[in-house]
Amino acid sequence: MATETRRHGGKVVQSPLGVSVSLWLVPLSLCALCLLGVLAADGPKISAARNGTIRGRVELRRVVAPAERRPTVSDLGAPIARDLPDVLRSVVYLESAPRGAFETSEGGHAVMDQRNETFVPHVLAITTGTTVDFPNSDKFYHNVFSLSKTRPFDLGRYAAGNSRPVRFDRPGIVRVFCEIHSHMNAFILVFGHPFFAMTDAEGRYRIENAPPGTYGVIAWNEGTSSASKPVTVPDGGVAEMDFTIR
Amino acid sequence: MNVWSTTLGLALLSVASARAQTLPSEPIAVADGRVTIGGDVSATMGSSDPGFFDYTDYEHSALRMLRVDVSAAVNGGDHLSLLAELRTENLDSVQPYALYARIRPWTKRAFDIQVGRVPPTFGAFARRTYANDNPLIGYPLAYQYLTSLRPDALPASTDELLRKRSLGWLTRYSLGNAAADKGVPLVSAFRWDTGVQVHATAGVVNVTGAVTAGTVSNPLFSDDNNGRQVAGRIELRPVSALIVGASVARGPFVAVSAVRAALGDDSRAGEFTQTAWGADVEYSRGYYLLRVETIVSDWRLPIVKTPDLQLALRAVSTSAEGRYKIRPGLYAAARVDYLGFGDVAGSLITEPWDAPVTRVEVGGGYSIQRNLQLKVSYQYNHRDGGVLEQLAHLKAAQLVFWF
Repeated sequence: MATETRRHGGKVVQSPLGVSVSLWLVPLSLCALCLLGVLAADGPKISAARNGTIRGRVELRRVVAPAERRPTVSDLGAPIARDLPDVLRSVVYLESAPRGAFETSEGGHAVMDQRNETFVPHVLAITTGTTVDFPNSDKFYHNVFSLSKTRPFDLGRYAAGNSRPVRFDRPGIVRVFCEIHSHMNAFILVFGHPFFAMTDAEGRYRIENAPPGTYGVIAWNEGTSSASKPVTVPDGGVAEMDFTIR
Repeated sequence: MNVWSTTLGLALLSVASARAQTLPSEPIAVADGRVTIGGDVSATMGSSDPGFFDYTDYEHSALRMLRVDVSAAVNGGDHLSLLAELRTENLDSVQPYALYARIRPWTKRAFDIQVGRVPPTFGAFARRTYANDNPLIGYPLAYQYLTSLRPDALPASTDELLRKRSLGWLTRYSLGNAAADKGVPLVSAFRWDTGVQVHATAGVVNVTGAVTAGTVSNPLFSDDNNGRQVAGRIELRPVSALIVGASVARGPFVAVSAVRAALGDDSRAGEFTQTAWGADVEYSRGYYLLRVETIVSDWRLPIVKTPDLQLALRAVSTSAEGRYKIRPGLYAAARVDYLGFGDVAGSLITEPWDAPVTRVEVGGGYSIQRNLQLKVSYQYNHRDGGVLEQLAHLKAAQLVFWF
């Protein structure tokens, strides 16, 4: 219970996911995600008890419009049609994780495609050690880059059919952009633990294999986070928690 | 002094505001996204330039300028959009830099008609003069350096023309408008022309044609010689890495009032044209970006007193620029530029009608955040002849913000 007191009574962990409001919040977000690791050291231990599930729904009261194309005043003709990013997907994650959750990072692969002047998916949630491939599926150049402190990178220009990988070793939020098409942007949320989930088209989420215990849970959408809500995962059971992001 | 205080103030404000989360990072969208508003602000502080190498008219230097552009697009449906851009330099009056309608008759075809004050058809650089598109601070000579020619005033003889070598920033002639004023660059990067433009894309080929009131060196809002310029551009993109373009433009250059002053009547006004040819190549791959552009311009002027002028006045410019990204947010860039002029025969000497200029600019940029960038550059300028200073080592810094 000492952990619970620390987590919910007094020492409030700042939300790390306020980045879409402005990139200047990234350092704060980084600190917050780093704090996750610190808190985890005192969190509930992974034990032989049966893991449980946290599930629920995220309701978006405020839907962020996709970034518009800058006025193409200097273009000789109208720009080509583009796809719009899916800004309705949210990420739900444990604010802190059980001790030991940070020790095993298998480093998988994920893909963020560049297709019809849109990053697909628009939001990617991964664990540290994951390598993300950035294929170019358009007939023209893109130049993927990020100035995020978590993982700055610039992949340069490469043509259709080619891909460049980036490995993410630090937790945090990475804003991804295209230098050539300023309306293209995406988020990569890098977690130091595996207890997170993306919502589906109806806003439902499901975090599996959470060890029994009480955790703070946060929902995030396009840079806006909900308040942390305490959730108790029963031994082998299911905990329900809904969120509203305004 | 007030301008520079304001520049510095705005620069500091932009940094402070960015930290305070108040500046937009995306275009502003209203009316359900049907109206989008973007902006470009650049504050440039540089060395004094007594040789007037970087002046864009007799009181504005490209290396000492606060430029604010606000652009807007109004989407009127699948077939029509209205585009506009307002610009002010050093907080002078606000000018409509662009104002036109874009019509797409068939939504499934990449075919557009643009009517009004339209983007330049000719050349490659003229459509990317915004500070965030320009890897350096200075402009290519062809688009900025002011020759001694004016559309509204004429030298009576080649001797008078030769006496004005290097004085394009502020020159005066004996015929036509007697007031001192700036000359014209080969292609103006500072005004857009008014007329009708047609653009089509088919596969790797982009074709553009336009009929406008002015010429590439002297774009106009209202015509001064009852003549129309015809311009065309073809652009090939055989692979993602390569863009090859060729442009041509021809139109009456000299104002009717100046023709009348030189010849006594204006019946031949249509003969005194500017004809320009351009070729440009852009190649990029990985962290490299290379651009080369050559422009040739011929002006025909009614210079009728002895020694007179029968041939066209020719100017040739070639620039090559490159950019290399060193690491995320940091790049280095360089441009080598030469502007030469054809020989004309005066009473005593045959020499280029304006003083040739060589420019080398090196610099780089650092992105403080995605849409806030600091650039620095050093510029070497050398002019071969003329009455002004022939050498200049200029340094400049520029803060760029866009949304």
